[in-house]
This record gives sequence, structure tokens and C-alpha cells, in this order.
Amino acid sequence: MTSHLGEVVLWVEGLTVYRGSQLAVQNVSFALEAGSHTAIVGPNGAGKSTLVQAILGILPRQCGSIGILGEPLRLSGYLPQKVRQQIAYVPQRLQFNPAIPLTVAEFVALGWGSLKPRWPWQQQAARQEAVQKALQRAEALHLASKLLGQLSGGELKRVLLAYCLVWPRRLLVLDEAPAGLDSPSEGEFYRLLEELRRSLGWAILQVSHDLEMVSRHCDRVLCLNRSLICQGSPSVTLLPEVLSQVYGPEFARYIHHH
Amino acid sequence: MPETWARVAELLQLPFMQRALLGGILTGVTGGLLGSFVIFRQLAFFSDALGHSALLGIVLGVVLGLNPTAVLMVFGVVFALGVTFILERTQLSADAVLNIIYSSSLALAIIGLSLIPGYRGNLNQLLLGDILGISPPALWMSGLLLLLALGYIGLTLTAQMLLTLDESLARARGVEVGWQRLAFVVLLALVVALSIRSVGVLLVSAFVVIPASTARLLGSRFTTYVLLAMGFGGLSAVLGILLSAAFNLPSGPSIVATQLLFFLLAMAAKGASQLLRL
Repeated sequence: MTSHLGEVVLWVEGLTVYRGSQLAVQNVSFALEAGSHTAIVGPNGAGKSTLVQAILGILPRQCGSIGILGEPLRLSGYLPQKVRQQIAYVPQRLQFNPAIPLTVAEFVALGWGSLKPRWPWQQQAARQEAVQKALQRAEALHLASKLLGQLSGGELKRVLLAYCLVWPRRLLVLDEAPAGLDSPSEGEFYRLLEELRRSLGWAILQVSHDLEMVSRHCDRVLCLNRSLICQGSPSVTLLPEVLSQVYGPEFARYIHHH
Repeated sequence: MPETWARVAELLQLPFMQRALLGGILTGVTGGLLGSFVIFRQLAFFSDALGHSALLGIVLGVVLGLNPTAVLMVFGVVFALGVTFILERTQLSADAVLNIIYSSSLALAIIGLSLIPGYRGNLNQLLLGDILGISPPALWMSGLLLLLALGYIGLTLTAQMLLTLDESLARARGVEVGWQRLAFVVLLALVVALSIRSVGVLLVSAFVVIPASTARLLGSRFTTYVLLAMGFGGLSAVLGILLSAAFNLPSGPSIVATQLLFFLLAMAAKGASQLLRL
């Protein structure tokens, strides 16, 4: 994986996104290198989730161009399967019905391989082996036969990490939910994520609300408030004078955290 | 009692009865298969609304003198595409749109029926269906649709499961959400439309919703859940038809009553297992 180091995994040029008639993201440009861990920070409603969803083609964009692993993302949201397979996305919240009888192992298997038409029994052994390994690495093997709807917040995060691990990826996009996840397992989760990034060479793009985590684990910060206010290493971007400009009146709520 | 079952055994020798059983199994299994996705994709009301609207399709078929099953299939697909189109372009909720479409179709259909001389007597049959009258071509169509549904769901299972779980996860994975959703809804419309002649406009959605809901209570993995839904669909149809033959009851309602019985038993079993775990 180290051979990929320094390679551009994702580039975004002049990206503008509207949600309905509302301008949500304006003229954003940046690039992500292999093996880097980049955080997107900014106040509520700054367009952080919109930005990552537009990058993945989940939301349509009005202006700008996006490229992932050398392939342009079409306006329709289309990317070739061989590129899609190498991206993993973890949304802020899974919008699923908790009554759905889906086990953790079955869920993790959904991240495996391509979406080409295939009978469920084809390549089943390889798939199951990958699922076991991924759950083991995410320290979630004991959850394999539990139902997805019965997991706690911390357990679900590990299972989502296994979903990312089940197939070789180059880019991880994590949309962190604001607050409420300040459990002790949180630090443990980031330690694990860091370890995996280093050994697997993932580029991580992460929406984050936790500036302390950002300063500890990320090597780059994008400060977003609809448009990109500044970008750089945490030591230059996470200064009070910069943050007060990014967050505006919300700043006071974040600074005690930092 | 023994003579009742002797009569059933005798009835089972008759070709129409055998066709009804086979038709019931095919309809039940297909309904269970699609239903296991329907109940988690907010499509239960869609199939109900399609069933009710289909009466307009039947009336149109009678007025135009065309094959009612063919008209129903076309009507079902047009309904599915129309609803999808309107939902994408309106601020109204799906419930409201479906309600407007199905109550107006129903109203127009009943007005139409009242204008067709001599057809009023058959309204009952349209509302409740007649699986005993299922024709060999309809049986072939049912078999074909089951194969189509198995092929489509089987080959795209990962995409279908992702779509049922979380749309943004599916999109990020590269699932062509718009096309997949449309294909599923068209398939559902075809199945509902074909089943209407045998189970009637009022009860057709039960074939999609009840066996899957029963399986949901008992399945501990997604694959088992889907297989259970198909099993309950087929089994309820067989038992329902046998009961209707034994006690001379209407066939469609007997099948739905059997589905309900399985659902209640599953609820009781689930409740009992939870009590035991406490």
C-alpha cells in the first residue's frame, strides 16, 4: 500500500451544491492524498454532510468537477464499479428500520465485492471468510450473529468499520454524528481507525464535530462554512482566531472542547 | 368430519382444484418473496392502492372487450410508472398521492360498472376473486412471474438489501437507486395485477404483506426471513384452499384467514420465547 503514498485519491474543483433552492456548498476545491486523514469541521448547517454526499454522488451537484481514483464522477452520480468498490461510506445515521431481520455478518457482507449480477451462493466461501476477517479486525467478531437493530451506538460503529474492511478500499468517507457519542469507546474507536489507516494506506475524509479528536488524529483540516474558509494542518487551522471566523457565534460552544 | 375430508380428497382429483392449488402456491410464494422487501420499503400501501385501482383496469377491459388479465397487467405497470412519476414531482406525501389515485380509480370503476348492463352481479367476484376459476394461461403467467422475481431478486440481492436498509449507503455503493426501485415496483405491479383475478382487489395486498410480516417475527437472518415469507405464502394458500373446499367457504378470504392464523401463531410464539428468556 505504501506505493500509493502521495497519490491523489480524490480531487474536488469548484464544487457548488444546492439543496432545493438553498445554496449549501459554494465553490469548494481541495485534493486528498493516499494515506492522509482529513477532517471537515464547521458549524451546524455549514454543508459538511452535503459536501461529502455530493462527492460520492449521493446528492446531485450544480457546478464543479470531482474525480476519484483517476475517474471523473459523472453528473448523474455514476462512477465505474471498480472505483466504487474501493470507496466506503459511513453515513451519519443509518436510516434503517430496526425491525429488519439482518444479522451483523449479513450486513458486513453487503460491502463485499462488486454489484455485478451474481447468485447469492456464488463466491460464498470467499465472502464469508472476508466477513469473518473484517469482523475480527474491527474487534466485533462476537457480534456476528446479532441483529443490526439490536446494536448499541458503539457496537454499530465497529460493525460499520468492518463493513469498510471487508473489501480492499482506498478511500473512506465518514460522516460523524454531532455530539452524544462521547463514550469511552470513542477513543478506542479512533485508535483502531488510526491503526488501520496506517497499515492499509486508506485516505480518510471525515466530517467531525470533535476538535480534540481532529487535533489528535488528523493531518489536515478543511474549515467549511458553506465555502471553504481555510485548509491546512491542525496546528494552523485550529487556532482560536481562525475557528471564531469559521464557526461565528457557535464558536464558544466548541472552544471549551478543544 | 371424515366425510368432509373424503369430499376434499375427491375434489383434489378434479383438474380445476389442482390448478387452484398450484395457482395458490405460485401466487403465495411470489407474494412472500416480494413482500419481504415491500414491508421494509414503505410499499405495503402501494400494493394495496394498486389492488383497489385495478378495478378500473378490469372495467376498462370489459368495456373495450379485451382480455381482462392482459389489460390488468398493462394497467398495473402504467399505475406503477404513473405513481413513481407523480411522487418525484410533487410535494405531497406518498400516502396522499396513492389515496387520491386509488379512491378516484375506484369511484370511476364503480360508475363504469353501473353502466355495463348485466355486469353488476359479478362485482362480488371482482372484489374477492376466484382462485378456483384460474385458467391454464394465467397459471403459466404466474409461474413465469415467479421465475422472473426469483431471477431478479436473486441476482441483485446485495443491491436489494442495501436499498431496503439505507438509501444513501446503497447510492454510495453504486446502486442505481432510481432504476432498481422502478424495476421492483413494476415487478410488484405485475404480480399484484396477475393475482387480482384469483384473490380479488380487496385482498390482494394481504398476499404481499401478511406472510412477510409473519416471517419477520420468526426469521433470525435475512435469508431465512425471505425463505420463510415464501414458505408461509405458499402454505397459507394450500391450507386456505383446502379449508375452503372442506367447509364450502369462499377461497380468497379462506387463504387470507389462514395467513392471519399463521401471523397470530408467530406472534404468540415470539411472545412465549421472550417470556422464557426473561
